[in-house]
Amino acid sequence: MTSQTLKQDASADTEFALRIDNVSKSYGAFYALRSVSLNIRRGSIHGLLGENGAGKSTLVGIISGQRSPTEGTIYLNGTEVAGADVRSMEEAGVFLVTQEPMIIDHISAAENLMLGIWPSKGGFVQWRKLKADAARMLKGSGIDPTVDAGRLNAVARRKLNILRAMFSGGKVIILDEPTAALTVPDRRQLFDFMRQLKNDGVTFIFISHYNDEILEICDAVSVLRDGALAGGSEDIASMRSEQLSELVLGRGLVLFQRERRSFESEPVAVSLRNVVANHVNLDRLDIRKGEIIGFTGLPGAGAKELAKAIFGLNRAKSGTIGFDGVEGSSLPQHPKAAFDAGIAYLSDDRRKDGAVGHLLIAENIALSSLDRRAVFGFVESGKEASLCAGYFASMGIKAPNAEAVVNTLSGGNQQKVCLGRVLATEPRLLILDEPTRGIDVGVKQDVLRIIDELSKTGVSVIIVSTDTDELVRAVDRVCVFGNGAIHQTVTGDDITTENLRRLAQA
Amino acid sequence: MSTVMTSTPSKEATEKTSIGMHKAVGWILHNVVWIWLVALILGFGMFNEFFLSVMNMQNITVQATVLGMLGLAVALPLLVAEIDLSIPANLGFSSAIGAIAYADWGMPWFIAMLVGVGVATLIGFFNGLCITKLRMVSLIQTLSMMIILQGALLALTQGKTLTNLSDGYVWIGNASIGGWPVMPLIMVLALVIVGIMLKMTVLGRSIYAVGGNPLASNSAGIRVDRIKIITYTIAGFLAGIAGFLLASWQMAITSNQGSSYLLYAIAAPIIGGVSVFGGRGNVVGILGGVLLLTVIQVGLAITNVPSFYVGMIGGFMIFIAVAIDAVRVRYFA
Ligand SMILES: Nc1ncnc2c1ncn2[C@@H]1O[C@H](COP(=O)(O)OP(=O)(O)O)[C@@H](O)[C@H]1O
Ligand SMILES: [Mg+2]
Repeated sequence: MTSQTLKQDASADTEFALRIDNVSKSYGAFYALRSVSLNIRRGSIHGLLGENGAGKSTLVGIISGQRSPTEGTIYLNGTEVAGADVRSMEEAGVFLVTQEPMIIDHISAAENLMLGIWPSKGGFVQWRKLKADAARMLKGSGIDPTVDAGRLNAVARRKLNILRAMFSGGKVIILDEPTAALTVPDRRQLFDFMRQLKNDGVTFIFISHYNDEILEICDAVSVLRDGALAGGSEDIASMRSEQLSELVLGRGLVLFQRERRSFESEPVAVSLRNVVANHVNLDRLDIRKGEIIGFTGLPGAGAKELAKAIFGLNRAKSGTIGFDGVEGSSLPQHPKAAFDAGIAYLSDDRRKDGAVGHLLIAENIALSSLDRRAVFGFVESGKEASLCAGYFASMGIKAPNAEAVVNTLSGGNQQKVCLGRVLATEPRLLILDEPTRGIDVGVKQDVLRIIDELSKTGVSVIIVSTDTDELVRAVDRVCVFGNGAIHQTVTGDDITTENLRRLAQA
Repeated sequence: MSTVMTSTPSKEATEKTSIGMHKAVGWILHNVVWIWLVALILGFGMFNEFFLSVMNMQNITVQATVLGMLGLAVALPLLVAEIDLSIPANLGFSSAIGAIAYADWGMPWFIAMLVGVGVATLIGFFNGLCITKLRMVSLIQTLSMMIILQGALLALTQGKTLTNLSDGYVWIGNASIGGWPVMPLIMVLALVIVGIMLKMTVLGRSIYAVGGNPLASNSAGIRVDRIKIITYTIAGFLAGIAGFLLASWQMAITSNQGSSYLLYAIAAPIIGGVSVFGGRGNVVGILGGVLLLTVIQVGLAITNVPSFYVGMIGGFMIFIAVAIDAVRVRYFA
């Protein structure tokens, strides 16, 4: 299984590691995939693009044995795989890194890496080997193999799943939006690693919403739209970013760009003073009315932590927040208090603490504003329905109706549901943590536009982001964090991709 | 850029009927508790005509009342992904307190009853505090509370049966209006109130959210601990009412009052579709589970099944209900 030299006879099947033949997948009356046929060349990196809900995760789920197709066949090295489960596909050398992190919180990072592939002898786990292997795999990643995975941050958790696949000795490795949660240096590392494995003959399927990543790393690309193959190319060199976007959307893409201006003369809407919390030590920060401000920095530098402290999720030891020039009161100690004060926050991890998966879209949208729309504790269902219908429409959520269960939505649509929920509280300060992570290019523009329009109604917005492109397009001022404080502030025309990349790594 | 869609009309038609079939089977399985209930009633009726008589139906509803109250009480912590095993023990202990308050402390029976219910409510509240503020594991915390309360009941009664209950106290358990027993009305009332609470109030919606994803609920501005404490407190209150009803109906409080209900009180809501993982379930399902268990008990008692087999057959019937539900979740959820 670990041998990476591929001895193959010269049949037609040497050319393609995977052939996907007429695969369809339906959920009830709804088709998530429609007769998709695709060949993946051996030893290549094959990009898979498509809007949220286009069917990418469904397709790779079928390839990896997680789900079964309603119709169609998958050929691995020329042999049909039928009724295979994840275990047997992994034994055949196909490894999938799922879109949502699959981590068991209360066991160590090392064990998470080896989950299901424990080195063993006669049924006994060889702990010493496991630990040594894990330590080798985690070298240079900054992750302590002995620490419980639950205590790692989102980036590290993501890395665990990726590393498990990369070191598995698998011959086909599928990465479903692996870069969405990674920092810039981590992406570089991942790409280097992928190229190295590719030279050893490993085949990759790589899903991403970032055209530049696809163009940089992939050899070929396929685009899914509404469950069907919309196009693609065997020769990535012939493709340009706009072409990809057009294939994804089925129309030309207009990139959003906020009209940046100075807010010096606007009244101060939010003033933060002397905030001390875990990983945060901030003297002062003023945010003007209608201003959009970006927080960025390496993990642990304080950007995320300050955002959470303002919302009461990262309990502040001290510090005040004041609105509209009125003297500040101490920071909220619970999200409920924050919402009541007009502060709304959207988490970067929608699965963990963004949405309640098995509730309906409408129920999720209403969740944070239930009691302010209630009469004597009773939810006014008429009002609620119209409110939810409104956000359901204005967010452009792709689902049959607002009565769909959130779990069945694709990631980007779940994100829109969460965004609808926080907007429904009608905040004066809106804090968005990685608001477009895992969202396709088209929806990304929608989201940035919604935020822009909201700011014009006088709402102040904080966007926490490591996506420099997003910061360049959406914010008026960028605060680069280091050591829990604002390390540098970038305004106006200085907000460029190059500047931000350089500062973030400094 | 054309989508490959060349399904012929006939294929579409078969697809539609197969989807329709799927839906129909799904619907049947979704209501399996009720269908199984009707089947059992008819089945028992065939063995013994008396089973279908009005009198026996009245008997079943009376028997179901206490279990119904307990099933509701157990369901609430389950909905927030916790559990309360101490509810039947709470029933026994609190009703004994009520009886002693009347007999030994000289309180009027109604006040004494309220004292009992109040104690039950406080115990529920205390359980909630332990589980949220002290982060005790609910399974073990309420298990120990169950043992404490069972022991306390034994100590209070000194192993004897309390029968010194006032006429007013035992009225509701035995009264009937126009031949129909009054006691089941309390259960109906409780089902309706809890049902409305779950469906239409902010509290109910918060309960489902907390059970579904506590972290997301917290970030959504719901005070998760508070919601959990409230569910435990309501559960305690319902256990107190159930204790009053059981004592009133039996006109006695034994030294192990209520303990025989434990497994059935937990099984009923789960059979009725309340998820042990939280966030799922409703009162209609709970009622179905309660009636199903009661019908099995009563049915086996009045048909001529030799008593040595009753336990085994009853367990088997419950097993079938749960197995069918598992099939539903697997293929039709
Ligand atoms: N278990 C399911 N039940 C119903 N619909 C589903 C289920 N899983 C996925 N879908 C639907 O299938 C479509 C494709 O989803 P997905 O493959 O996750 O999209 P992508 O990964 O391209 O964003 C979406 O519209 C989604 O709502
Ligand atoms: Mg996906």
